[in-house]
Amino acid sequence: MLNLTSDKAIRVEGLTKRYGDLIAVNGISFTVDRGEIFAFLGPNGAGKTTTVEMLECLRKPTSGKAFVLGLDIAKDQMAIKKKAGVLPQDFYTYERLTVKETIQYYGGMFDSHPDVDGLLKLVDLEDKKNVLFKHLSGGLKQRLGIAVALVNDPELIFLDEPSAGLDPKARHGVWHMIEGLHKEGKTIFLTTHYMEEAEILAGRVGIIHNGNIVAMDSPQGLISEYGKRNLLILKNTNLTAVPNIEKLGIKANYDQTTGDVTVHLNHSVAVSDVLHSLSTSGIPFGELQLKRSSLEDVFLNLTGESLGEEEDTL
Amino acid sequence: MSHVVIDLKASVKSFARNKSTIFWTIAFPSVLILLFGAIFSYSSVKYDLYLQNQDLVDGKPTYWSSSLVDVLNSSGVFNLQTLNSTINATDYAISNRLSSLLIIPSGFNDSANMALLTHTQSLENVTFVYDQSTSSAPIVGSIVKSIIGSINFQLSRGVNYLNVQDLMIAPKRYGYIDFFLPGMIGVTAMTTSIFTSVSISAQFKQNGVFHKLATTPLKRYEWILSRTVYNVLITFLGMAVMIVLGVAVFGMKMTIDAISLFMVTMASLMFTGLGMIIARFVKDPDGADAAANVITFPMMFLSGTFFPLSQMPLFLQSIARVLPLTYVSDGLRASMIFGQAQTAVFNTGIVSVLGFVCIVIGSWITKWEED
Repeated sequence: MLNLTSDKAIRVEGLTKRYGDLIAVNGISFTVDRGEIFAFLGPNGAGKTTTVEMLECLRKPTSGKAFVLGLDIAKDQMAIKKKAGVLPQDFYTYERLTVKETIQYYGGMFDSHPDVDGLLKLVDLEDKKNVLFKHLSGGLKQRLGIAVALVNDPELIFLDEPSAGLDPKARHGVWHMIEGLHKEGKTIFLTTHYMEEAEILAGRVGIIHNGNIVAMDSPQGLISEYGKRNLLILKNTNLTAVPNIEKLGIKANYDQTTGDVTVHLNHSVAVSDVLHSLSTSGIPFGELQLKRSSLEDVFLNLTGESLGEEEDTL
Repeated sequence: MSHVVIDLKASVKSFARNKSTIFWTIAFPSVLILLFGAIFSYSSVKYDLYLQNQDLVDGKPTYWSSSLVDVLNSSGVFNLQTLNSTINATDYAISNRLSSLLIIPSGFNDSANMALLTHTQSLENVTFVYDQSTSSAPIVGSIVKSIIGSINFQLSRGVNYLNVQDLMIAPKRYGYIDFFLPGMIGVTAMTTSIFTSVSISAQFKQNGVFHKLATTPLKRYEWILSRTVYNVLITFLGMAVMIVLGVAVFGMKMTIDAISLFMVTMASLMFTGLGMIIARFVKDPDGADAAANVITFPMMFLSGTFFPLSQMPLFLQSIARVLPLTYVSDGLRASMIFGQAQTAVFNTGIVSVLGFVCIVIGSWITKWEED
């Protein structure tokens, strides 16, 4: 039994959390391999944080089982807490401790003696080490949170919405750090509602919606299975472009109001083939636009809903 | 245990870096001690009495009128304020809302001499003008009358057949400050412990510090133990400031013994637990302050901090008997001021039992995370 569970960093079997009539997490099962970055992608309220907090032993599941680093979340809470690192959503701590003191404080809580300078260097806070927590910007607080999540040199790190609310520059800084941890061989369990974050960082993505995992694969696998085909949009062309392109064996639509032609590309036909065919037939076209399919489309196709990140897109 | 020490260090550092918290921890008890000490300790009771002497010869008071003024003065009961002899004193008293005024009429000296010679009543009498709506006027009136009565008694060569003997029952003379300061130490233990517990819990719940702490091996009871020790330390700081002021400014004499230190520790424990219990039911920091006020304010006024319980109506006294602060104040007074060991131990015992009950319930119901 131990071998069955401990070869995976996380193994979840039929995990369920109910609050009265509300089912926050609905009997989900999945595994996370050691050394991979696994992302839970879904809108706020999908059940991401509830799942993570059950794995962190902060909430008790209504039913189901889960093993973290081979340890049972129902029995070995203290052992799991000692071995895992956690960056909670919106990390916050004693306001009047400095960056350095904060790392030492949490090191003390794990009875470990972290390499404070090494951690400060890792999260690029060396020149802020004597600044009080309350004087740090949101991005720096989050970076300190990552350093704090590493004080016990964990094998597995839970990062709950690590870049939520950060500006693009700070967000890229956080991503860079997560990639660095991955290279060191850490297992990372990430939750996010930013599709770009999942697409860039994760080896595998689980899409969670209303407490259910609706799809799970690599970002590219998800896009090719559930995404739309890539689209080529030709501006300022005419109706004759449509039969010309369809001769290549792919679909094209003409939009009468805009005068645009939308071409549905597939694996066998490249953009250059379309352009060559048009120019040899003497059909004019102006501007070109290529629309790549993304996890956003995957999410839309799977759930019929958008991820709702318009207000803070990159 | 090391977790407790680490968290305690963090709390003490945070305190030392928070200027406004330091200020209030020291200023609140200091201001109250100085203010109440000054109001009640220095004003030995004296009543204002206005006086108009119309019985003058060549601008100088006559023998009998000046003798009466001297006797009134030497009684030590009155602040005598002399009015000009030419004004209409009664009108002056009305327009200036004076509560007590004594008018010695012109011819008072001659009339008194005549009365003595003839053994009849004097024709010219002093007039006591007073505002019956004030509480002091009847007292002033009866003191003036008893002074004149004793003058009459001496002039008629009477004999003191009956006498009153004084016997002071308190071993030392205690002032208001002796009563007030131990009560104020109790209040400081209460406000420090309840307010910090409630507001820290509400803040940590809201801004997510509890959430992070819950992911570490730190146990809840370790954190609560650290907060309790912190509250004890802060209360001791406030207590030290008050004792220094009491001794330096008011010349108090008091005993700081093991029982009084133990009482303060147990009081902090009890109020920390009470704070944790309140914190369980508040959602945000604003609500936390309001809830803490609702508990601490009535206790401050009903537990015999500012005035003795015996001066309160009976039904309030019975309320005071169920308020824990009453036992803290009584116990501290007994140990620090009156040297009543038995009373001190009794009250400390009650507070210790309540303290352990509160801290156990508080620890038990405190949650870092909503399950």
